[in-house]
Amino acid sequence: MVLDLTMSMAILALLGALATIAGCLEDLESDVGSQSNPNSQVQLAPQMGLLHRIFNKAISGEPISNGMSAVTGGTVAAVLLNAKFYPLTAIVIGSFIAAILYGIYATTAYAGRVASQSRFKQPLYMDIMRYTTPSIIGHNFIVNFCLVTIAYIQYAVLGYPFSIPFLALIWGISVGAIGSSVGDVHYGGEREFQNREFGCGLNTALSGRIVRKAESGLRNSIDNVWFCAKFGGPATGIGLGLTVFFSSWPTTIWGYTWTAMGVGVIILVVMIIMNRLVEINVKKAYGPYKEDKEEKEAGAVAHTH
Amino acid sequence: MSEIKEISPNNLVLFGLIGGLIGVYLSPTLPIAGALGAICAVIWGADAVRRVAKYGLGTGVPSIGQIALGMGIIAAMFGLAIMKSQPLAGPVVAVITASVIGFVIGWFAQNVIKMKIPVMIRCMTEIAASGAIIILGYSAAVAGNYDFVNNLIPLVFDNGVILFIFWVGAVAMLHPFNACLGPDERQKRMLYLAGSTGASTMAIVGLAAIMTLGASGAITMLLGIVLWLIFYKKFWDEVYNDAASVVGTGLIPKTEA
Repeated sequence: MVLDLTMSMAILALLGALATIAGCLEDLESDVGSQSNPNSQVQLAPQMGLLHRIFNKAISGEPISNGMSAVTGGTVAAVLLNAKFYPLTAIVIGSFIAAILYGIYATTAYAGRVASQSRFKQPLYMDIMRYTTPSIIGHNFIVNFCLVTIAYIQYAVLGYPFSIPFLALIWGISVGAIGSSVGDVHYGGEREFQNREFGCGLNTALSGRIVRKAESGLRNSIDNVWFCAKFGGPATGIGLGLTVFFSSWPTTIWGYTWTAMGVGVIILVVMIIMNRLVEINVKKAYGPYKEDKEEKEAGAVAHTH
Repeated sequence: MSEIKEISPNNLVLFGLIGGLIGVYLSPTLPIAGALGAICAVIWGADAVRRVAKYGLGTGVPSIGQIALGMGIIAAMFGLAIMKSQPLAGPVVAVITASVIGFVIGWFAQNVIKMKIPVMIRCMTEIAASGAIIILGYSAAVAGNYDFVNNLIPLVFDNGVILFIFWVGAVAMLHPFNACLGPDERQKRMLYLAGSTGASTMAIVGLAAIMTLGASGAITMLLGIVLWLIFYKKFWDEVYNDAASVVGTGLIPKTEA
């Protein structure tokens, strides 16, 4: 379908908005279950004698698990579209079935991992299972809905020569990759090790020594989402939204021409320079990290064991 | 832990290979058999992943599942495509091709990258072969048979369902061991979980088959849901058995640390 410039820009804005929501919710969803980077620390904690009440959603890395839910949503939506459902109904039902499947995988991951840690006496908390799984399903549903909608728009409106499941899978992998690289930093390093100095890195002696207690009571995965929703989630959303926007904007304005390619290269160069400036400023402001005394002792104790 | 009896790898190879191929070969008369064969292959593949990943591949488990179906899809397409004139030989050629690819990759991992995992070559071969059967089985369940040109290309490849089979088939195979990872992992629990992931994939495959085959897809979907419920329940029974304790709620028990 050929669109005029205003309409193309409107569609581009819509895609960018959907991608922003998807990216934000994807990161928060991975934080509900402590997936990806933080997961290894949650997994290690019981071995260090630190039992916890945090959900352990070990489905796989975020790109694979989100690819799974997105391609499931896309496939079911394609089946329903084929059966002459309204597009919105088809996308909603497809996303919902995919989110349920994802939730099932999440429950088996938590139950399976905890059951495999029985020698460390880690209990399986059913209340954590009951109120964390719906949260995972809810977040994942919104992610699926946004991604399958993007795939549908690309397929039906923009006339991409790929099927809906294919586009949904690619978007699922992208959102997982960006959620993992942008968002994780704000959970894995900061929330689980918030009693350490900012930027201290993860000393081997600290492995598994995660923060298990909240401001009042014991910390659970929902508390972690609350923390991540303040910065990690939105940052991820902006990351994916900008990726979508800047990768499509030149071709929307100038079409598939060399001018568009040139503009793309300029955007890339500007971003590289900006990243470098941020890095230099951060290094100036915080300097290299100095190991403090307590950690040195902890390290020494760990070595003697 | 050694007193717990495990199913031997050889039996699981036979189960996956024979069950899977019977399923694929029955699929022209009974499409649902393809999906059942694929579940056999998922169970076999999950055990092969378990044996190789036990050597401390933590984050490597998902990668193994992905490479399995990557090798599997190439081999499956190759086998079916070059055997167009002799369609009966297609699945067997696909499995043999997959085994060869798996063997070569396993050999490289062992001798070039020097991963020093004794079961590497055997397991990579098994993983690739089971990956090929997973692709063949679920595809046959959607397309109605395993005829590459007339059925698979228009009914599975063109509409993108193959991507679902490729991706979710890989997760179905890698998830059971990944989800049960830990020092007290038990084969029985993992195998029930493999059945559960295979059956839930079968349910969605059945839904896709409603689009391509009509009413018979609904039977695949319903049987998939029933099988999933059975395996999921069995998995949970094992969890209740194996976990240190299953509690409604409560504080963290006191430990030495």
